[in-house]
Amino acid sequence: MNKILQIKDLRVSFDTYAGEVKAVRGISFDIHEGEVLAIVGESGCGKSVTAQTIMKLNPMPPARIAHGDILLGEHDIVRASEKEMMKIRGKEVSMIFQDPMTCLNPTMQVGKQLTEAIRHHQKLSKEEANKEAIRLLETVNIPNAKQRARQYPHEFSGGMRQRVMIAMALSSSPKLLIADEPTTALDVTIQAQIMDLLLEIKQKTNTAIILITHDLGVVASVADRVAVMYAGKIVETGTAKNIFYHPSHPYTRALLKSLPDTDMDRSIRLVSIPGTPPDLLNPPAGCGFASRCSNCMKICQTDLPPEFIIDGGHVAACWLHYENCPAELEGVKN
Amino acid sequence: MVKYVGKRLLYAFLTLLVLVALTFFMMRLLPGDPFLGEKVVPETTLKALNEKYGLDKPMIVQLAMYVKNIFKGDLGLSMYYNRSINDIIAQAFPYSFDLGIRSLIFAAITGILLGVVAAVKRGTKWDTAAMLLAVIGVSVPSFIIGALLQYFLGLKLFELTGIKFFPITGWNTALSKILPSFALSFSSLATVSRLMRTSMLDTLGQDYIKTAKSKGLSQKKIIIKHAVRNAIMPVITVLGPIAASVLTGAFVVENIFSIPGMGKFFVISIQNRDYTMISGITLFYGVFLVAANLIVDLLYGFIDPRVKLVEGKE
Amino acid sequence: MDRIEKGRFEWVGANVSESEGITRPSTSYWRDAMKRLFKNKIAVFCLFAIVLISILAVIIPIVSPYTISEQHLTHTNISMGFKDPVDGHIHLFGTDTLGRDIFTRVWSGARTSLFISFTAVFINVIIGIIYGGISGYIGGMLDNIMMRIIEIINGIPYLIIVILLMMVLPAGVMTMVIAYAAVGWTGMARLVRGQIMALKQQDYVVAAKVMGADTKRIIFKHLIPNTLSIIIVNITLAIPSAIFTEAFLSFIGLGVPLPHASWGTLANDGVKVFQIYPSQLIIPALYISITMLSFNLLGDGLRDAFDPKLRR
Repeated sequence: MNKILQIKDLRVSFDTYAGEVKAVRGISFDIHEGEVLAIVGESGCGKSVTAQTIMKLNPMPPARIAHGDILLGEHDIVRASEKEMMKIRGKEVSMIFQDPMTCLNPTMQVGKQLTEAIRHHQKLSKEEANKEAIRLLETVNIPNAKQRARQYPHEFSGGMRQRVMIAMALSSSPKLLIADEPTTALDVTIQAQIMDLLLEIKQKTNTAIILITHDLGVVASVADRVAVMYAGKIVETGTAKNIFYHPSHPYTRALLKSLPDTDMDRSIRLVSIPGTPPDLLNPPAGCGFASRCSNCMKICQTDLPPEFIIDGGHVAACWLHYENCPAELEGVKN
Repeated sequence: MVKYVGKRLLYAFLTLLVLVALTFFMMRLLPGDPFLGEKVVPETTLKALNEKYGLDKPMIVQLAMYVKNIFKGDLGLSMYYNRSINDIIAQAFPYSFDLGIRSLIFAAITGILLGVVAAVKRGTKWDTAAMLLAVIGVSVPSFIIGALLQYFLGLKLFELTGIKFFPITGWNTALSKILPSFALSFSSLATVSRLMRTSMLDTLGQDYIKTAKSKGLSQKKIIIKHAVRNAIMPVITVLGPIAASVLTGAFVVENIFSIPGMGKFFVISIQNRDYTMISGITLFYGVFLVAANLIVDLLYGFIDPRVKLVEGKE
Repeated sequence: MDRIEKGRFEWVGANVSESEGITRPSTSYWRDAMKRLFKNKIAVFCLFAIVLISILAVIIPIVSPYTISEQHLTHTNISMGFKDPVDGHIHLFGTDTLGRDIFTRVWSGARTSLFISFTAVFINVIIGIIYGGISGYIGGMLDNIMMRIIEIINGIPYLIIVILLMMVLPAGVMTMVIAYAAVGWTGMARLVRGQIMALKQQDYVVAAKVMGADTKRIIFKHLIPNTLSIIIVNITLAIPSAIFTEAFLSFIGLGVPLPHASWGTLANDGVKVFQIYPSQLIIPALYISITMLSFNLLGDGLRDAFDPKLRR
């Protein structure tokens, strides 16, 4: 399989009023053709920043790529000029956002917003672009596409708008689609429809998808691989199976424990993770999770844990996997 | 949409009614007498004058007469000039309208441009310069700007160069129209540019701008096609009040530049306690501005597709 | 990787209090806002200028050797910085056509203009808070009617209403205050209503209610701090508008009666002669402009300081 995207030791900072906020603190991952990679983590962990940095959508300044490489096919994103980015965005990689209610321009007809994207990357006449827009609306299952194209976004429901966003993102058959919490703002029943649509598209076009979410339920049903982010770092990566059945980082484990389960004994209370994530204005010297981790050791507070290979592609950044770690603590983790 | 238009029309009508009542009662409550200025008028003459202007009839009859005449479009006679107010307005308003519309257009276009530039180049020297200009515009009253322009560009520039760039007074040549229009537009320009900047910054932070960017559109295209159109909406809604401030501002600017417009007549009528003239001009301006507000509101309804829908659903 | 000694793998366990401790110390809203305001050099300078002008407006007319209507008929229209070699009279800003000392008059004018603006805006705020508060708090039909009334008042240019009022009431400083206060409150009322309406629906207020906080607590802990900042900003921006109105009215001949001097009447006197003696217009013009500018810039600074979006 072809590698579509490679990210190496990416660091993104925001220069704010109070100082430098290190939102992403050195993350690396790859994604292959036709693969769904889920990035999970709680709000503020840097997952959306990562996604937007791939397309250089964050306003710079205040955002700044402090270090690292982003290779999208043969394009070097970090060094690409704004002009080159204009050719990459929408064509090589597109994005759909969390809130479909605010992502469409309220004063422009939906069809127009689609043809605008189409004509930017393809040399088509107005009529051809129009036809293409209607075809795209049909592929995302919007009924009466012809009439719908002439309507304004407020005449669409939330789910319908997200379909329009997907149609727009697909208009130039990108190799990579980034979906930043595509279902968070939608009703549960609509969520499933949108996820099914995304999967259907992936199968048809072999587009790779980066799915950003904090909803582990969604991840379990669609993701091939999962990356768990905490405090600007990826703490664990692996296949969906690895993550769900053999979680190897205490944060992943805590996250899974906080998930309600249908066959769970009613008498067991949901487990929450005590404490709050560290302030990324002054990130801690050691592991970001140390202060909330029940397995925390001395070394965790002072040294950043390196990545330990658990099994094949399953990697966790946690000192518990160091060979010198006492056995009784290894016991705790199981 | 029909309901929206109907609601706007109703408000306009109510506003006018309040204005008519206000001017009427104000005028009747005024202390002093227009005929008792500096000169001593014989009792009989005074009585005859009061009769002529209907000031001896009971209040309610006066009100009825007043309303009747207004609906006929007759604003009555000026006590000071002893001329039909309609006549005076017909003669003076074209000047004021010309001055006002020039200022308004200049203020709107320049203000919007400045606001857009300031927002797009946020935090740069452009932004600082545009906003400095705007805050000065809001802080320096038009009569001061007018007088200073007149002094430096009208008088001093002529003394220094010997060439008459800008005439000091009047409203006949194209050059003579520049200084008063600019003086009058400055504060509106400032208001528009500040509002446009805020609105533009707000719009640029919207998600759909990010969507447009993620499509690969250029910054220029995003600003022109997506941002400005949405950011301009709040600016349109203040055009009504801005028209009002331009018209009232014209009172002083016309005086400074000796333009024979309504403002000059208005100030003279205030200084001479010319009741009928004051109420006539007030009403005329009232109708004019209520109409302007109505047009702006309707315009807004047509431009913003969301207004149509909200009303349509009701 | 070098081997790491065993001792460093000693178990510590979670230390939640420490994790809470790492997050930034939460500074109070007001202290934070003030800190931001005082970092803004322009705003601080403007605040200083306003305080200075206000103090001098009180002191200078008292200590000045001249009164505002005292005429020096031998020294009419003299220029700035004049010193009479005979009687030793000093006229810092010169004298006007009637030989009155401009320095004294402009500071006395400051007193009048600032008194009018401060009082008028103060009355506006009170009416606005009461009107907006009732409208927003009770809501429903009453709110609807009250807001329609404001809409109708706003349909008429406020200067026209002020001019009509000025003509009906006897000339004087208080008339000016009343005339401006009669129309100036609508903006404040709308603002207060909007804030209260918005706050009533805010999740945290609902949450506070659900958690059993009583009305008093909600009003003092949530409503007032949130509304107050907006009111303060609005006051700062309403004062220059009142100063402008005073100047405007004086300029068209509806100003404070003699012997009072205000910035507007001084500017009006100045315009008549300024082609020959420009300083007589430029001095009051500068006072008006600098004061309005200071208030506007301070208002902008306060708005930025209070804007929680800038926090972080």
